[in-house]
Amino acid sequence: MPPHTSFWIALLVGIASGSVGPFILLRRMALVGDALSHVALPGIALALIYRFDPFYGVIVFLIGAAFLIFWLEGRSRVPPDAIVGLLFTASLAIGILMIPNADVIESLFGAFPSLSLPLLLAILLTAVVLSALCFLLAKRFLFLIVSPELAKVHGLGRGYDLALLLIFAMIVALGIKLVGTLLMGALTIIPASIAKNLAQSMRRYVILSAILGGAISVAGVWLAERFRFLPGPAIVLLGVGIFLLSLPFARRGMA
Amino acid sequence: MNDDTVLSVEDLSVTMDGLPVLQKVSFTLKQGEALAVIGPNGAGKTVLFRALLGQLPHSGLVQWQRDVNIGYVPQRFSIERSAPISAMEFFLLQSPDFWRPSPAFTGQLDQELKLMGLDPGVLRKGLGELSGGETQRVLIASALLQKPSVLLLDEPTAAVDAGFEETVYALLHRVQVERGTALLLISHDLSVVYRYAQRVLCLNKSVVCQGTPVDALNPQALATLYGEAGFYHHEH
Repeated sequence: MPPHTSFWIALLVGIASGSVGPFILLRRMALVGDALSHVALPGIALALIYRFDPFYGVIVFLIGAAFLIFWLEGRSRVPPDAIVGLLFTASLAIGILMIPNADVIESLFGAFPSLSLPLLLAILLTAVVLSALCFLLAKRFLFLIVSPELAKVHGLGRGYDLALLLIFAMIVALGIKLVGTLLMGALTIIPASIAKNLAQSMRRYVILSAILGGAISVAGVWLAERFRFLPGPAIVLLGVGIFLLSLPFARRGMA
Repeated sequence: MNDDTVLSVEDLSVTMDGLPVLQKVSFTLKQGEALAVIGPNGAGKTVLFRALLGQLPHSGLVQWQRDVNIGYVPQRFSIERSAPISAMEFFLLQSPDFWRPSPAFTGQLDQELKLMGLDPGVLRKGLGELSGGETQRVLIASALLQKPSVLLLDEPTAAVDAGFEETVYALLHRVQVERGTALLLISHDLSVVYRYAQRVLCLNKSVVCQGTPVDALNPQALATLYGEAGFYHHEH
């Protein structure tokens, strides 16, 4: 096993999570995004049963779920929360029934991953590419958030909504081994929530969120190693703690 | 289509969920002209705009001038007030480079801000911190960045505090005069229509009247448009 696997995944996947978070948060998709990560569970179950690397099961199920949310969103203006909630908790339930007992905790809350070097490198490279995409497409994502009708006049279509969902789904897939299916959605939301309280402009918001994502994940992994916790809960609780500290800085008008 | 016609619409009809929303609407918009679209709620004014922008399936003919540059001005932003997005960044959505804008872009932006009577300090404000009047002027300035030959405005003063509607219309009038930009605007305010529009189109699913405000807005036409109750009562 390559050395410092957890550290590198925490750093690069943390940065990627922080980069995509602001757009998910401003689109008011935080809860849908959180529920999305549960869909990974049946994918993990199938991988364990048929003995292939769970990463591939996770990525297939998450990308499928991203397309499903995109399709549901297109059908009505209101995000179909109830359908998403039902479907995603159902997949959580199915996953739990299928996964052997010995692997349940690890699937839900993450573990220090052991990966082959090629797979580790592929995950790290993908995390870098996805982070870069968030910055490159920031203007277009933001345009669709600030004024969808104006964005439409400027020729920005729903393709960018799908792109955002797919980037999000892939980032969730990358971090699931370390953070777990129940908590990985939270890792994309927490750095963005903290940065939102501190930043005055969108450009600073995205940069700060990316830095916080990397820093919180690395610090969480260090704490988990030191005190023998699971890495997922350590990262998430550390992030929530920092969020609470950032609350006094939130500007007025925050709902 | 004449050379000075920016937009020519013939027999435009839109059907939604099997019901007619617009029926055989025809009108033209000339260069540098201000045309006001009025009508009761549900008359199809916003649908008309969306059809003109090619965002709705429709029948009939919508013909824009060749190489026309359309500036669309929405009523408001669709974001929560706490979103950390500065006014500058809203303008940057139209810059080729979002992260490091060119001096040429910021130079043009300064001009548009001046035309709209906005202080450059407004750029540092968050979108949620702008007043209604500032928001509307920021939206118009942003549309002007495209150097449009026509501006489409859907009730430009809907979110503006009372007393400032006049300022917004005066500024639009200035754009029309100084730049020769045609204005196509939806308005509820008949006094504005009399004052700033050269022509008016009364819409209630189909065209009820059109012409200069003085000719077209006779008591009979207004009664047909807003119901037999008679006078149009303006609410605020």
